[in-house]
Amino acid sequence: MFMLAVRSLRRRVAAFTATFLAAFLGAVLVMAFGSLSDTGAAEGVAETDRQTLSTMSTVVGGWSLVLVAFAVTSTLTLSVRQRATEMALLKCVGATPAQLRRMVLGEALLLALAGALVAIPAGALTGRALLALLKSTDQVADGVPFAYGPVALGAGIGVTVLGAAGAAFLTARRVARMRAVAALGSAADAGTGGGRLGKGRIILSALFLAGGVQLGVMAATAGPEGFDSMQFAGSADILFGIGLAGLAPMLVRGASAALARPVRRFGGASGYLAVLNLRQRTAQLAAALTPVILFVGIGVGTLWMQAIQNDTSAGAVPTTQEDAIETLNFVVTGMIVLFTCIMLINTLVAATTYRRREFGQQRLAGATRRQVLGMVVLEGAVLTVAGLVCGTIAALPTVLPFSYAKTDDWLPDPEYGIWLGTVAVAVTVTMAALVGTARRTLRTPAVEAVSVAS
Amino acid sequence: MRRSRSTRNAPHPPPESGEALRLVEVRKVYGDEGTRVTALAGVSLSLPHGTFTAVMGPSGSGKSTLLHCAAGLEEPDAGRVFVDGHELGGRSETALTRFRRAHIGFVFQQFNLLPTLTVTQNTTLPLKLAGRPIDHAAARAVLERVGLGQRLDHLPGQLSGGERQRVAIARALVTRPGVVLADEPTGALDSHSAREVLELLQETVRGYGRTVVMVTHDPVAAAYADVVVFLADGQLAGRMASPTARAVAERLTHLGDAAQQGIGG
Ligand SMILES: Nc1ncnc2c1ncn2[C@@H]1O[C@H](COP(=O)(O)OP(=O)(O)OP(=O)(O)O)[C@@H](O)[C@H]1O
Ligand SMILES: [Mg+2]
Repeated sequence: MFMLAVRSLRRRVAAFTATFLAAFLGAVLVMAFGSLSDTGAAEGVAETDRQTLSTMSTVVGGWSLVLVAFAVTSTLTLSVRQRATEMALLKCVGATPAQLRRMVLGEALLLALAGALVAIPAGALTGRALLALLKSTDQVADGVPFAYGPVALGAGIGVTVLGAAGAAFLTARRVARMRAVAALGSAADAGTGGGRLGKGRIILSALFLAGGVQLGVMAATAGPEGFDSMQFAGSADILFGIGLAGLAPMLVRGASAALARPVRRFGGASGYLAVLNLRQRTAQLAAALTPVILFVGIGVGTLWMQAIQNDTSAGAVPTTQEDAIETLNFVVTGMIVLFTCIMLINTLVAATTYRRREFGQQRLAGATRRQVLGMVVLEGAVLTVAGLVCGTIAALPTVLPFSYAKTDDWLPDPEYGIWLGTVAVAVTVTMAALVGTARRTLRTPAVEAVSVAS
Repeated sequence: MRRSRSTRNAPHPPPESGEALRLVEVRKVYGDEGTRVTALAGVSLSLPHGTFTAVMGPSGSGKSTLLHCAAGLEEPDAGRVFVDGHELGGRSETALTRFRRAHIGFVFQQFNLLPTLTVTQNTTLPLKLAGRPIDHAAARAVLERVGLGQRLDHLPGQLSGGERQRVAIARALVTRPGVVLADEPTGALDSHSAREVLELLQETVRGYGRTVVMVTHDPVAAAYADVVVFLADGQLAGRMASPTARAVAERLTHLGDAAQQGIGG
């Protein structure tokens, strides 16, 4: 079965790119921040430098850990679900559930490990750049040498591999449990229906939402001094966003109920197909909604929090340094936001490429390319609206408590620029990824696109 | 009543030229060096309006490819294709789609129904896409005719193979196309349902003057056609007018032998 895993990896390079990319970028992020801990722990580093380095490593590194675990988990789940047909076929020709589990687990571990290993040099480079930035802003003494060690490697490899293994285990269990013929049947209309939320998923989502609120409360009560408040607030939107993402199928249903009428009214045949998809491919579209929520939530939350921080720390240090620190802060939070943005593109590209066969069938039924693109755009519009609303809500557990902690006022100064900027990026990136991928997918002649051999 | 429906709904009166479908030296080669397969090796064919033609031949002889090229679903490497007097070559994909929507009904060997659409929605989808008014009563009538009157709101995943095939047939007929191309439309059907479908196809030819081209492996099905065209190794290998099941079966045996010898020698 391990051989089968290797062969299946080799034959489906494209399908696994998304998972590999998530593991790779996630590991780079975690390793870069982890390296700051290693650097601080080295002998001969002054106590203040050690403090600064470990604060940044644990505060920002801590947020990214959760995020990376989630990103790896969700992309892997997506890619495994997209191979439901193949697994059902394997079951039909006699693969046992245990063999399938081993195959999925083997593939996941291989991918995650490969991603993490390739990430090692890139993580070192990024870590070095971070240290250089800290030095140039006088946060750390110039003489501190860069170190890359157990924390960076352990956290980077650990989180990607564990995230992948967890996701693989859960998905494989679901696939393996199905009877062969039922699996084939449900794979034939892959992605239809679904979207019914299991009890476990609702509980898990509720826990994440509660965790987000809890971190918000801790941030609010942490006081204005030091980095405690920021540490808690910074993860609040991530946890809350993940909680909302867990409920994405429900949100998709809500959004499509609210927007079905105008989409259908003004969308013509494309609108007709879009609404049907929103109703029936809930699970698939939920997978696309998730990264939109996270990007908007984390983008707005983190950048706004940083803006509040910059406002309140103004005057605490000499003005010459102020700009430099501000830059540092935005670079650091920007890395996290950039990661979510890439994950957004990654997921949408993977999810849309997978629809090749569906697009082909629509075209064979008489849809023009333009009509199929119109459908994709309309679905994307509904997802974007839902993602913007939910993402903005997800940002609140970060922004409100942090504002209270720093200024004693729950309502911070509105940052229209940050909100509008994030929204503009989200809309542009979502639409560009969807339309770009759909166009590329539509280049395949329809007859070829529907032939199963993929 | 039948008469009035046909005149009211015939969107494209046949042009003066008597040919519904004409293929001129059509070639189609798949793959590249090493895996090269000549699916069609220069096929010429001319089918008049209002005829029912069966295409037969061994598996892999190029029957599906022939139908795909005739519908503009695949571009021939050489040769020309005319449908209802219009040449397909040199058109953009969108133009081809529009043309197909108006002139051609296609029953795919693999059905190609949309899994998220119900039986009724799948059947009326071509009309919806073309922005044409949807005559629900007519769609229902076709579906009842193929024996799916009780399954209107089911999804394809809930149907048997033969039932899906019948939805695909209803979908091909609902736009009342001038030319119906059907790739093994009775391949998954029992003999009773197969007869229903074949009679329906025959009726669209006799009653409405449409042209039907049907790929089949079944000599009994082929006997419903006016003419049987035989294909072997991507080339025409004979033609039989007023076919009977027995004669067709016999010819197929010879065709098989010939192909065997071809490989042997
Ligand atoms: N997309 C493709 N790429 C490569 N080769 C192809 C492709 N489609 C068909 N072929 C080859 O072209 C030949 C003709 O295929 P075609 O599907 O037309 O056969 P057919 O007569 O319909 O067979 P069947 O009765 O089994 O459906 C076959 O040898 C097949 O292997
Ligand atoms: Mg065929």
